[in-house]
Amino acid sequence: MSGLFNNSLMPWQWAVLAAVPPLIVLLYFLKLKRRPIEVPSTYLWRRAIEDLHVNSIWQRIRRNVLLFLQLLLVALIMMAVLRPGCRGTALVGDRFIFLIDTSASMGAKERGGTRLDLAKRRVIELIDQMSRGDVAMVISFSNEARIEQSFTDNRRLLRERVQRIQGTARPSDLAEALRAASGLANPGQTSEAGNPLDAQVASALPATLYLVSDGGFQQVPEFALGNLEPRYVKIGAAADNVGIVAFTTERNSEKLDQVQAFARLENRGAEKAAVEASLYRGADLLDVQQVELPAGEGAGVRFELRDPEPGVLRLAISGADALAVDNEAFAAINPRKPAAVLCVTPSNPALQTALETTAARQLATVTFVEPKYLDDPEYERRAIAGDFDLVLYDRCAPKKMPLASTFFLGSVPPGEVWSNGGKVSPVAIIDVERSHPLVAMPDPTPVRIVEGFVVRGPKGARTLLDSQDGPLLAIAPRESFEDVVMGFTLVDSDSKEGVRANTDWPRWYSFPVFWQNVLAYLAGGVQSESAPTVQPGEPLAFRSLVPVETVRIQRPSGGETELVKRTGQGYFQYSATNLPGAYTVYEGDLAEPSQWFAVNLFDGRETDLTPPADVKIGASQVAAATGGGQVGRKELWKWLLGAGVCVLVFEWYVYNRRVYL
Amino acid sequence: MSDPSATSALLSPSLMAQLERLELVSRKIFRGRMKGERKSQRKGQSVEFSDFRNYVPGDDLRFIDWNLYARLDRLFLKLFLEEEDLHFFTLIDASASMDFGEPSKLAFAKQLAAALGFIGLCRADRVKIEALGGSRSRPAPVLRGRKSLWRMLEYLDGIRPELNVPLADGVRDFCLRNTGKGIVVLISDLMDKNGYEAALRWLIARRIDVYVIHVLSPAELKPDLQGDLKLVDCEDRDVTELTISRPLLDRYEKTLAAFVNGAREFCSRRGVSYVMASSQTPVEELVATYLRKRGLVR
Repeated sequence: MSGLFNNSLMPWQWAVLAAVPPLIVLLYFLKLKRRPIEVPSTYLWRRAIEDLHVNSIWQRIRRNVLLFLQLLLVALIMMAVLRPGCRGTALVGDRFIFLIDTSASMGAKERGGTRLDLAKRRVIELIDQMSRGDVAMVISFSNEARIEQSFTDNRRLLRERVQRIQGTARPSDLAEALRAASGLANPGQTSEAGNPLDAQVASALPATLYLVSDGGFQQVPEFALGNLEPRYVKIGAAADNVGIVAFTTERNSEKLDQVQAFARLENRGAEKAAVEASLYRGADLLDVQQVELPAGEGAGVRFELRDPEPGVLRLAISGADALAVDNEAFAAINPRKPAAVLCVTPSNPALQTALETTAARQLATVTFVEPKYLDDPEYERRAIAGDFDLVLYDRCAPKKMPLASTFFLGSVPPGEVWSNGGKVSPVAIIDVERSHPLVAMPDPTPVRIVEGFVVRGPKGARTLLDSQDGPLLAIAPRESFEDVVMGFTLVDSDSKEGVRANTDWPRWYSFPVFWQNVLAYLAGGVQSESAPTVQPGEPLAFRSLVPVETVRIQRPSGGETELVKRTGQGYFQYSATNLPGAYTVYEGDLAEPSQWFAVNLFDGRETDLTPPADVKIGASQVAAATGGGQVGRKELWKWLLGAGVCVLVFEWYVYNRRVYL
Repeated sequence: MSDPSATSALLSPSLMAQLERLELVSRKIFRGRMKGERKSQRKGQSVEFSDFRNYVPGDDLRFIDWNLYARLDRLFLKLFLEEEDLHFFTLIDASASMDFGEPSKLAFAKQLAAALGFIGLCRADRVKIEALGGSRSRPAPVLRGRKSLWRMLEYLDGIRPELNVPLADGVRDFCLRNTGKGIVVLISDLMDKNGYEAALRWLIARRIDVYVIHVLSPAELKPDLQGDLKLVDCEDRDVTELTISRPLLDRYEKTLAAFVNGAREFCSRRGVSYVMASSQTPVEELVATYLRKRGLVR
């Protein structure tokens, strides 16, 4: 009884029910209901039904059609009381939130379509299982969440909205989708686990959260589910996939006429793979390399390009795998633009020498001016217009910070943010923050410094060189720029003997390397050549090569260009980066492209097509349920009762239409 | 003398006054038994000349046409049409089935028979009203003249709906016992399971003027029945079990129409006048309109 049927009656109730069919049969054959009426003659009545006697067997059956219908009705009711059912899935609860993953990995091909197609079909199945009065909402998410349909009980609308969901090439970020879903289930809460300020401000509406995904996202352990009951509907099966997870270009520091293109390929399949990595510039094939990738491991590929023209490089790997979007990557070599550096110094031969080496000249064009230039209106205009990438202030300071990165030697920037923390003499360098590219140089600790001061930077400032009394060189961000303050000068101009060395640092190897780092890092001399890369959907900030107010950007799909205006900070911000590929920037009214930037997936989690067996959401470890709904009985008694009503209607029809004895 | 109560039950004074002006008409001229007010086929002593024939010895010398004898020198006898009475028979089906309806078919039949009989009595016709099958237990009187009205009504009152003889048997019995020619009016519902045809053939064979007045009650014309019923025939107790529904009622009405049309066609083919009447129809209306149109009265 527990399988197909689920008995809901006591034995004596069954006995009563079982007595009904024989009673109907008895009533039919005894014909107790007939009322005797005396008539003048049955002559005409008999003649009226005479032709019905022609086929007596058929007539007998026909006469009993009502009996059979009533027996059928009772049988249907008895079957319904037995509560027949079959194994199926049923949605438990009355409020549902369907989170549908639309990230790049959901574009992977499976049997029967892409993973997104499967997910949409699965969600529509779940919507079909909703009971009358249940409400549901649909949210699609990649690295941003989008409410496709807010809570409604209109299942047709829900199905339509699910059908309309489109895939993206973006990576996944579950946290944002969960926050959107949590908004209604946990009103007034931040959904941060352990937040003492969380307070329920409205009555909570518990909901069942169906996460329909292949699990290619970062786990969200810091999320408070509250009234959300999570269920993870796993989409897709493990599939072999080789993808490009990094691709960038960089000028060879030893051979400056060469550009190196680096790529990293990862094999997320269960078997080793051999792929051909082909590098193209436009339609021209530049180089091909064969790469062996052991199962589950990655490998790097390096291409050498001799004095390449500016343009877009495309790296493609051979072999058809489940996911196409990570088989291609883009990088661009932008026109070399020497950084514009303004050096405001009374006189500093050592600094001048360091900034005018051959290597330094390749990185930046340095203009030396006297401190009095700071009062010139032209300086103010150029400083505000963002004409400089870097301004060096040697023993002087501007009245107002320019729209550029700055380097202060022996002085502090204007304002309260930076301060002189007290004189130090002599100064001994006791520690170097070697992980920072600015101080990636030979050991500077032997350098002797006569006099200096402790640099007090703003909150978030990073100490690069430490003296015995405190920070000697510190760097701190300012909007989109960075400011560096060095707590000692190279020369002491206040001495009576004129210009006197304050340090012997210019005699050390570390000195020119440091200034080269300053030009490369702060002025962005090297980086400007290799185009920036962002992931799909991420905003990108970039500067124009020449000072212009607007740029036009053409997307990889071609078509019309988009006009982008310069922000107040002197750079351009572009956020419509949904498509992977190379975006072309036209500055001002120029017809020729000025620079490019690339949008690439570069996400190992998206490349890995093996769906995890469970996901961690908040404190819950949610195991995958392939069906989606809770496994349970699918009750059939409603259908049987519906059939019973149909039989009843048919019986009524027969009763009214029939002619029989 | 007539009994006033019986008269008022079957014949109201106004109806009698209406009927007195009418007379029964036969489409054929029959031989009567007594001298009456009608011409007869028989040659007799009326004033209306009919024909001549040769004199044969023994003929009444008063009817010899002497003028012809003078011109032709041969003896011819003048023949005159005889005026005779009319034989008017009314046969009432007094089976149990006639006792149905409101008013009952039998009451209607009696009233109609009384009306027609009264017309006949007023015209000195030979009137005989007989219940089918009732001849042995209660022989019907032969009536003539207005003074017989009381006897006629008394006989009609005595007819009870219990003479369940087959229609054909009742008519055959009448035909064998009554050889006179004239008019026969059969008032019946014709609901005989053996058929009405045999009965009518007996009457047709007599070569008399036959009128069939088919009486049906409203309950037969439009039955007001519904549901699961056991219909019991009041004459032979035959049981028919039915579930009466609208379609079955439709079938019944079609069958009834076919039955009436069949009777009408049977009669018209054989020179029998057929009138179908509901027991609700007023007798004076029936006599004054339908029977007048059919030529039974004028």
